[in-house]
This record gives sequence, structure tokens and C-alpha cells, in this order.
Amino acid sequence: MVLAAETPIVGTGRDYTHLVQDYRVHGSLYTDPSVFADEMKHIFTDGWVFVGHESEIPNGGDWVARRLGTERVLMARTPEGEISVVANRCAHRGTTLCPQSEGNNRNFRCPYHAWTYALDGTLLGAPFPQGFRNGKPDVRLDQPGQIGIYRGFVFANQSGTAGPLSEHLGPGGSDLLDRAADMSPTGRLQLNGGWIGQRVDSNWKMWPESDNDGYHIIFAHESLASSLLAGSQYEDVILEGEGRTKSVARDYGGGHVELDFRKSYTTELAWLGAPRGKVSAYCDDLEDAYGVEKAKSIMWDGPPHAFVFPNLFLGEMNIARIDPLAPGLTEHHHTPLLVETSDPGINRRVVLQSEAAMGPASFFLPEDVVIAERMHRAFDVGGATDLHGHTERGWVELGRGIEREQSGGGQRWSDVTDETTSRGFWHHYRCVMSGSATSGPAEGNGAAPPTDRRATVKADQRRCRPSTRPRGARSRNSSTTRLCSRMSPGTKTGWRWSPTTFTTGCRSGPVTTSRAPG
Amino acid sequence: MDRVDEATRRDIEAFVYREARLADESRYGEWEALVTDDMHYWVPFGPGNYEPGTRVSYINDNRARLGTRIRQLATGIHHAQDPPSSMRRVVSNIEILSTDGDEFEVGSNFVLYEHAVQATGHLRLWAGRATHRLRHTPDGLRMAAKKVELVNSTSPLPNLAFII
Repeated sequence: MVLAAETPIVGTGRDYTHLVQDYRVHGSLYTDPSVFADEMKHIFTDGWVFVGHESEIPNGGDWVARRLGTERVLMARTPEGEISVVANRCAHRGTTLCPQSEGNNRNFRCPYHAWTYALDGTLLGAPFPQGFRNGKPDVRLDQPGQIGIYRGFVFANQSGTAGPLSEHLGPGGSDLLDRAADMSPTGRLQLNGGWIGQRVDSNWKMWPESDNDGYHIIFAHESLASSLLAGSQYEDVILEGEGRTKSVARDYGGGHVELDFRKSYTTELAWLGAPRGKVSAYCDDLEDAYGVEKAKSIMWDGPPHAFVFPNLFLGEMNIARIDPLAPGLTEHHHTPLLVETSDPGINRRVVLQSEAAMGPASFFLPEDVVIAERMHRAFDVGGATDLHGHTERGWVELGRGIEREQSGGGQRWSDVTDETTSRGFWHHYRCVMSGSATSGPAEGNGAAPPTDRRATVKADQRRCRPSTRPRGARSRNSSTTRLCSRMSPGTKTGWRWSPTTFTTGCRSGPVTTSRAPG
Repeated sequence: MDRVDEATRRDIEAFVYREARLADESRYGEWEALVTDDMHYWVPFGPGNYEPGTRVSYINDNRARLGTRIRQLATGIHHAQDPPSSMRRVVSNIEILSTDGDEFEVGSNFVLYEHAVQATGHLRLWAGRATHRLRHTPDGLRMAAKKVELVNSTSPLPNLAFII
């Protein structure tokens, strides 16, 4: 059945245009199980979600276990070299196929009745064929409606209705991934340094907020100010405080946001904390690959500190993914951003940097974890009768800097201590959760800041761009057809759609990679 | 394994118990006084059968970074340990695995209960194997290396911001 475009899509009746306002959001968004259910549908099923990176599965038969929302999936490399994403769940009785986190297999074989699947999810066979019409069950492993790959980053969209990945990323998201991938002289990252998971007893949305909050660092991480941070790269880029750095909080639209440190760095390689002499072969490789001018900008600018909606954190020389498991349970996984270079030293430095910054025993993340867990507890005050639906109290203030934000070129930006990044996430969240597929560019679709901010009502809010696709319309022909957008190996920048055997109806769009204004 | 005399064995066991108690009680300065200048403190991801630094570990501290870790804890405003977790660990199965001159490699198992009072109030259970490298010095036994292999290190862990 095709749903009419006007069919209400908020399954639980929560009014997201009220719960998410321009300068504040309601605490029940973190704790309400109905909100979580809506998120799993509208964000993690109907939208694009980061799954993993091609370099994690370099050889045919390689696979890693991941989550797409709450669903367990396997990202695998077929013998033909294609990337597949399939449910980690036998199509017979539902047994989890692979309990481990990674491996290399010729095929996936269920331990229950030995149904056996190819790495692309095709059923190869089931024992005792006489019992099946045509000698074989007519099933395969469930798979997302479409997968898309950009610069090696693999995304999946369960519903198949989200449109092309290029539209989800937009110029802002694509530029962020370009800048991360360009840290490698070959343009190819090597995310093979291992993933470490942090269990957090909080909602997942604390992470798009906290990972890109330029306001908290001096305070939440005050314990490091006198030791690790003093004299580090963070001194110039963020520790000076309000209005005293050239760093910028940036909203690219689409929920993609950045703490942009580029203009604050006062030396090349400041983000690495090492002079050129320590990693000279890496710098030479960059110059050979990109030319002196672009290599220079890479060495000065460093990797982005940014969030790609809804679950990918580009944490400078770390890549992290956020897995929401329940309203109050999240996993924050990270891996060091390793590069392909003749330099023996840089990846070691990156691993050391990663161990200092991320993970449950590092110097930074545990403090953010405790803050997130305290937030969650403050709003989770007693189950279904607490704040859910009672919005006269329990709001989260996110209005810092809203009056001095600037916009242009499809972006908004403000002082690095302003909550522009959190607002960028939440604005897109509101659009997605209330039925508009996209939030459009961050510029030009907003209202003037209200003079009396308490007077903010729905009509004053930044507006969403209406979806061009009717809800429920599927952009694929059948449940076994997959839309694949792939970038051909070796292509460093830009989009190229390379049809696979499954491909049908792909739409491509140019992606600008020009430098951000502002 | 080389044999050690009973007095040395008792000293080694006493050291391991004392190290555990100081860690349990978050007595950072006294704990740090137990380590040598070349101390290596390692909590690997999975079995500790890889060269630290070639892939990510939970903790891979040389002496300088361990100093930073202790300084952060000792500020009293490290939110992940403010207030410090209430902890007790039971150490058992102590074996002297090898001796090399003045050094002893000592294996033990532990079970640690942590009351994570900073946010959730959960009682957390940690279990694993510790491998100490202890060295005779003029000041008595000191710790030159400690490796902690958690039984569940390949699963996402909650905060591990204390000394394990």
C-alpha cells in the first residue's frame, strides 16, 4: 500500500515542533521510550546511517559486526570485492549468525540448521532439499534498501527511501569527509587500528551535543587544564575562552556541524602536537600526492572536529560511531584515523593521541560520559508519568550565541563557545522527526531571533524544507533490490556512481568541496 | 620457573596485596610511589599478545603519561572520579611466573567491585588477570610493569577512570 503524503508520520503522537525549539529542547527527548521508537523509525530506518569504512574489510570474506540503529548487521566484503551490509540474523529462525565483532568467512553458516549464505546475503543452501518447494527456501538475509560509500565511509539506509547519499551529506558533510580522508597521502584512510567501545548509561543524543560542544571544554575538562592541556594544541584553539580564539562553531545544515579550529592553529601540524621533523616523510608524502599548496593547507588545518548526522563523529585523528541501544543506553565506539604513508611514526603518534583522548580509560571521554549520565538521570525522573508530555518544566537551554550567529553560503557560524553546533543537530532532528526529510541549508531558512526569546513559538522557528519524496514511496523496485552508490577505488574526491549488479534508479548529484566561508 | 625463597615469595605477595589496596582506596600518591621510572602500565584490548602502540589499547602508559593520569586524578576535579569510586578487589592465584636477575614476573587473578558513585550509582564488576613485573631496588620491591587483561575487554566498557 502506498501511503499518502499527508499521512501522519509521527507514530507516537509526540509533537516534535514543540519539543525542539530554536533555543531549547525538552528533556523527555532523551528519556521517553516513544521518542526513541520514533527515532529508530525516522532517523535510523528512513535515513542514512554510518556503518563503517571500506578499509576495515580489505579482503574478500572479511566482515565486521555493526548496528544499524538497534538492528545487528554485518558489513562484509564479497569475493568479488563488493561491500555488502546484511542483517546478522538467519532468515530461517532468526539466530544471530556471527556473535563475534569481526572475522573472515567464505560464507555465513547458521549454527541452528546450517542454512548457509553468501557474503552478500544470498541463501546458498539449506539441508535436506526435498522438503522445500524448488529444493531451496526462497529467502535471503535482510538488507538495507540502499548502501552508499563516500571516500571509503560506508552508509546504509534501511528503508531505501532516503534519496541519494550525496543529498544527505550535502556540500558540508561531503567536505568534512573529504578533509578527513585527505589526511592520508593516498586519499585512503586505514581504519585498522582497532575499535574501542565505551558503554554510556545515557541517551545517544548527548553525543552529537557533547562531541561538538565548544563551551564545556574549559570546565568539564578542567582537571586537564594544568597538565595535559597546558601548552597543547588546545590552548590556542579553545582554552582561551569566549571571543578570544579564531575557532568557530559551524552548522552546515542537514545536522552536520563542526568545531572549526583551522584559523586558530599558529603552526603547521599543531593538531598533531609534533613539529615537521618528527613526521617529515609523512609531510613529503602529502606534498608528493597533493602538491605543495594543498599539502600545506592539510598540514596547517589538520583533520576536522565534526559530526555527520546522525551517528558519525570525526574526532580529529579519531573516527567514532554512536550506537543507540535503548533510550538510556548508548555505545560510543572509536578507532584511530590511520593513514597510508611511508612514514613509520605518524600512525604510532595517532594511536597514542587516540588513547589519551577517547575510550573509557582516556583523559577526556570519561568526564563527558559522567556528564551525559548525570544529564540522563536528571531527566529520567520516574518513568512514564514524569516529564513526558509535561513541558512546563524540564527544558534544556541551547540558546547561547543565537543572537550573534552569522550566516551565509549555506552555513551558520558563531564563536566556538556558542551552541550553534547543538542547535544545528537539533534543527535537523526536528525536521526529520516531524516529517520533513531535509532541513535544507543552514542559512536563509531561519527566523530572526525573537526579541523576547520566551515568545518563541512554532511559527518563528527555523523552517524545514519540505520533502520532495512522498512518505512511504519507495525508490526501489522490490525488497531484494539494493541501490548502491559507490565511489570507484582510487578516486580521491568527488562522486562517481558506479552501478553494481543490484543497482537501479540511482540519482547522483554534484558535491561541492570548496572551502567554507566565514 | 626459577625457585624463589619463602621470604621473597612473601614479600612479593605482600607487594601485590598492598598495590591492590592502595588502588582500591584511590591513594594515588602512595600508589605512584610503588612504580619505577621505566614503569609501563597497560590495559590491552583483547589478549595482551600484541605490541602496544600498534593498535589501540585502553591504557598504554609510559611513566610520563602515567604521571599525567595520576595528576589528573589528584586534582580532585576529575569528574569521572569525583568523588572517587568506592572499590574492593579480591586478588588470588598469585604465581611467580619467572625470575630474571632482580626482576620477577608475577601473575594473579582479580575480581573488583566498583560502586560508580559519580553518576549512575551502579555496582560494577570487573574481572581479569594482572601480570606484574616487580624489581628489587634499594628501596625494596617496585613495580616496573603492570598489565591488566580484562575478561570482557572486547566488549564496550563503562568508565575505567580509576587505577585498575
